[in-house]
Amino acid sequence: MSGPRETCDVAVIGGGPAGLAAALGARRAGAGKVLLLERDRTLGGILNQCVHDGFGLFLYKETISGPEYAERLTEDVLREPIRVATGTMVLDLSPDRVLRVNSREGYRLVEAGAVVLAMGCRERTREMIEIPGTRPAGIFTAGSAQNLVNLQNLRIGNEAVILGSGDIGLIMARRLVFEGVAVKGVFEILPWANGLERNIRQCLMDLRIPLELRSTVVEIRGRDRVESVVVAKVDESLAPVAGTESVIPCDTLLLSVGLIPENELAKKAGVVLSPLTGGAVVDETLMTSIPGIFSCGNVLHIHDVADWASFEGFAAGERAARFAAGERPAGPTIRVSAGPNVRYALPQLVTRGKPGVEWSFRVKRPVRDVAVEVKGLTSGKVYARRKFARLLPSELQKIKVRVAVEEDLEVGCP
Amino acid sequence: MSEHDAVDRLTCVLCPVGCELEVGTGPAGGVQVTGNQCDKGVPFAEEEVLRPKRNLATSVPIRGTASRMVSVRLSGPVPREMIFPILTEIAKLRPEAPVRRGQVLIADVLGTGVDVIATRTVLAKADS
Ligand SMILES: Cc1cc2nc3c(=O)[nH]c(=O)nc-3n(C[C@H](O)[C@H](O)[C@H](O)COP(=O)(O)OP(=O)(O)OC[C@H]3O[C@@H](n4cnc5c(N)ncnc54)[C@H](O)[C@@H]3O)c2cc1C
Repeated sequence: MSGPRETCDVAVIGGGPAGLAAALGARRAGAGKVLLLERDRTLGGILNQCVHDGFGLFLYKETISGPEYAERLTEDVLREPIRVATGTMVLDLSPDRVLRVNSREGYRLVEAGAVVLAMGCRERTREMIEIPGTRPAGIFTAGSAQNLVNLQNLRIGNEAVILGSGDIGLIMARRLVFEGVAVKGVFEILPWANGLERNIRQCLMDLRIPLELRSTVVEIRGRDRVESVVVAKVDESLAPVAGTESVIPCDTLLLSVGLIPENELAKKAGVVLSPLTGGAVVDETLMTSIPGIFSCGNVLHIHDVADWASFEGFAAGERAARFAAGERPAGPTIRVSAGPNVRYALPQLVTRGKPGVEWSFRVKRPVRDVAVEVKGLTSGKVYARRKFARLLPSELQKIKVRVAVEEDLEVGCP
Repeated sequence: MSEHDAVDRLTCVLCPVGCELEVGTGPAGGVQVTGNQCDKGVPFAEEEVLRPKRNLATSVPIRGTASRMVSVRLSGPVPREMIFPILTEIAKLRPEAPVRRGQVLIADVLGTGVDVIATRTVLAKADS
């Protein structure tokens, strides 16, 4: 590889709440040269378009809007001697931690002592592609609609239907009503809503927007612009039930059907990904399968709360700084798998004999009054047990094991 | 909004226990709350059902800079029925850059005692 070369101790890819925190974490752990690379013109990531409030409760102990959260964290970064490169896209990453970077100044190489992946996520669109019918204008992912409305002042339509009950779709339902758009309803294929209850209440019920569970959009109609959608109930296997179809006139369809970690760079470096999270397989230091490459925030697994993405960022940045300073993994690892009703548990690997590890996990189905256990797969011993009044698939939860563990583990709701 | 003569269900969000509260009509036009495991659940449900308060966030076009919009919110929650009247007030705003995060754009909007504040800093010049 040729071109100008630059070296740094820690390179952070992505300047959202996770990447900003990672840069700060690396500094606080003593890294000398920290480089923060962001492709957008501004730092803050997705938070810049999340103008609603409800951020910062854990990091700042008050609820603020996304832009305020982003700006406060950015100010902390700018107070440190961190080299911030905005308008800079990382094009490639090699397993020996050489980044190929494109910016206004041109193309260059960056050699990093350690790398933190913090590239966030993108929105799912697969469901849209599978909906039969025409391909008229007027179909948006909820996040792109949020960007057009909140940052670009565009009116995206007059009558909207929302497919999927993820939080972004719920937030956008309210936002569109505020903008004078009639929101005809939110259709969710599962028997439960995907978004937070607070958002169901404040974004739908307050505005009398119907939420239809067990139903989906089966056809999109219209030539140049969406003219209507056909919705139908689904059965247990999520297949549409014939005879339950109804036509809803609308000119706009929003998709809020999930997020996927944006791991193109991780793949190029050969990082092992988990099919359950879509993000890297990591150990308790948030290090991926490639030594010296760490991961945090939405690129690691989808977070519903930005604060947790930042906390992960602080930890990943600190570990990256220690790696750059010469610290190496303490030894062999044990494996941690997802047990009954658990979609995934993270970290998936833990250094053998390491006490005090905390897992993030999500359940597959909503449950009430359950205990979650971390169990040894060989001995059957329960290392941690935590009771929950309720668990929802939309909420990331935590469980901690205090003692040192020497065997493979499973996190599950027995 | 007084459509709540029927039973309303809500999850208390004051702590992680998340009690499922049922709110029915009580004696003398009051409400009857069940399902709460502590005392805080009752005032929580009463306020949410009888006098719900909400914050409000939107963004407005800004002049004198490359950014098109500045995001705004209320400095605190207001009675829910004030949301649309306040939106109408906000729609009249045409702030000029520079605007600082936290800057009051409308003080004591419609006499509610809360302010409309900017939630990001927009500098006057072309960059950021
Ligand atoms: C639309 C939406 C609404 C949300 N609403 C809420 C809410 O109300 N409350 C809450 O607490 N949480 C909310 N969240 C969740 C929260 O915003 C996320 O958990 C958080 O933003 C994740 O932070 P991140 O840093 O991992 O990713 P992001 O914020 O997405 O940041 C990733 C950054 O990486 C940059 N990047 C990616 N690839 C490259 C590359 N190759 N080179 C350089 N830069 C790159 C991107 O430009 C971006 O700036 C919402 C999320 C979304 C998507």
